Amino acid sequence: MLSLHHHHLPSTTNAKPQFPQTTTNLRHSTTFPKTLAPKLKPKPYITKSLLQWNRKPQLSGETPRVVVVTSGKGGVGKTTTTANIGLSLARLGFSVVAIDADVGLRNLDLLLGLENRVNYTVVEVLNGDCRLDQALVRDKRWSNFELLCISKPRSKLPIGFGGKALTWLVEALKARADGSGTGAVSPDFILIDCPAGIDAGFITAITPANEAVLITTPDITALRDADRVTGLLECDGIRDIKMIVNRVRTDMIKGEDMMSVLDVQEMLGLPLLGVIPEDSEVIRSTNRGYPLVLNKPPTLAGLAFEQAAWRLVEQDSMQAVMVEEEPKRGFFSFFGG
Amino acid sequence: MASIWTVEFRSLSVRPYSSIPTTTTNHRIRITNGISKSLVIRTHQFKQHCFTSIAKWNHQLVTSTPMQHLLLNRNPGTNFAIWVCVAVVVVVFVAAVKGFSRKKERPGSVADLVRRGQLRSDRRGISRPLKYEDPFNNPMVKVSKSNSSVEMCGKVYRLAPVTLTQEEQAVHQRRRSRAYEWKRPTIFLKEGDSVPPDVDPDTIRWIPANHPFATTAMDIDEDFAQRNVNQKHGVPFRIQAEHEALQKKLEALQNEENLNKLVIDPTNVKEIERPFNSNTRLNDHAEKTSLNDQAKEPSSPILDSGPNHFESAPSPGESKP
Repeated sequence: MLSLHHHHLPSTTNAKPQFPQTTTNLRHSTTFPKTLAPKLKPKPYITKSLLQWNRKPQLSGETPRVVVVTSGKGGVGKTTTTANIGLSLARLGFSVVAIDADVGLRNLDLLLGLENRVNYTVVEVLNGDCRLDQALVRDKRWSNFELLCISKPRSKLPIGFGGKALTWLVEALKARADGSGTGAVSPDFILIDCPAGIDAGFITAITPANEAVLITTPDITALRDADRVTGLLECDGIRDIKMIVNRVRTDMIKGEDMMSVLDVQEMLGLPLLGVIPEDSEVIRSTNRGYPLVLNKPPTLAGLAFEQAAWRLVEQDSMQAVMVEEEPKRGFFSFFGG
Repeated sequence: MASIWTVEFRSLSVRPYSSIPTTTTNHRIRITNGISKSLVIRTHQFKQHCFTSIAKWNHQLVTSTPMQHLLLNRNPGTNFAIWVCVAVVVVVFVAAVKGFSRKKERPGSVADLVRRGQLRSDRRGISRPLKYEDPFNNPMVKVSKSNSSVEMCGKVYRLAPVTLTQEEQAVHQRRRSRAYEWKRPTIFLKEGDSVPPDVDPDTIRWIPANHPFATTAMDIDEDFAQRNVNQKHGVPFRIQAEHEALQKKLEALQNEENLNKLVIDPTNVKEIERPFNSNTRLNDHAEKTSLNDQAKEPSSPILDSGPNHFESAPSPGESKP
């Protein structure tokens, strides 16, 4: 869950990182000096920031970043990831609009605890029953986070302009800062929570996206679907695809009952955005309608989501993963304690 | 183990008031715990001794000086012992009260749950926002000096480097492009629909007729929808259209009602019988409107159409372009 970079590696991916040697430092790739000037002498490795949250992340890429959170298989944590990364981004100071593109089975409002405030959806906007700004639900906890639902559970989106409607929405959100006078700004991030499957809902959700976050769990069913979805995304022209491996249990990995994160990466060949450990607090926070990243004190999964959000901002990927829990070394360890 | 409590009332040092000549007696109370072999003899002696001691004590109390003298003239050691006893009693009482109050909140109350750690006091309800004080200073994560392990939430994890290379990524992309040849569907057709002539058959997504998307009727065209999405100010299109339609309907209804009143309705005979009064009312209203809007000519058709007419007092916002 940490990003480890070498200061003077020519590329972070074309060579095996010499880790965990003493020359390895925790810093971010955006600080690499990209110059063709010959280096006179090798500089010592400098740790710019030991931990990623010691500074505000630098937003890279063209805004608004339109990111679709998808998986193929259901129940792997797309909506949980959207909610937590969205609120993490808001906490980091970025303006975020989360779109629940699950037409029939929306849940993002529940996870965010905003279910009672969704009066209008995109369907009403399209029909002219309300304006777009009236359909956006602003979170009271973090006012730079807004939720937009595609439809109410029983209403149906017209088949003809599912994808087009999302593209219009993104364009309208981009243009929001142009003199609307309401203090609304163009969002930095538009997160689209994609429905499961590769049906019309999936096609609708990925239409306006420039990049994708693929959620998977370390089991073969989710991996097969993830591979297929990755193929479809690549065919559709979305090249910036990173994955989050969810519900990882280090104890099972140690007992070789679960694929490790590196095994998953070897099978899918995608850069890692985050590794989320299995955490009972996820279910608790889901039921409370209070995203995990707002828990105090933070939980393991919440910290992992924060780190993933951090990397998303900087278009970074993980260079080191947590593999197993080290045995505690205490006074009683001699006795097996 | 034969353990008995042997209670001996020996004497209690009570010093009588000096001016009153009384016999000085010594009474002590001693409590010892021990093992006695001659249990019977000692018990007998104890009984006798108790009787005599208590009798003497009672006699002493009755015949001795009043209590105030007694209290004033105790020796300091006894005074201290009494105060210690009082303090102990007070402490025991306070502890008992505390225990009782704890017992009161024990059976599952929220305060009890908070005290026991089952429920966090700062997580009750979502009205109060929970925020990190500083999202950029998280003390929960510590990386070891050698960067080989990380401590998160009190657990130490070993770190392993990611070994994925650009070449491996490219290999996977090529594999997927071969395995999943896919064109994004640009048109969705219900099963049974005919294919339009200018459409690539590969980009058609056939959807079952009972699919939620397929069963939705599109009652608004795309241009309208796009205009609605881009609308930033003012009344939404549908609301405005419904409002206008309602206004027209109301207008039509009012016209009909007026017509009926004038022509058909025979119940308004009273109004017809009193044209003077109604005319004065109408004239009053006309004066008010002329005062409000000086530009209007007094002989406007408002008088003919009545005060409830839609066009009687049009607000500036309702004027149509």
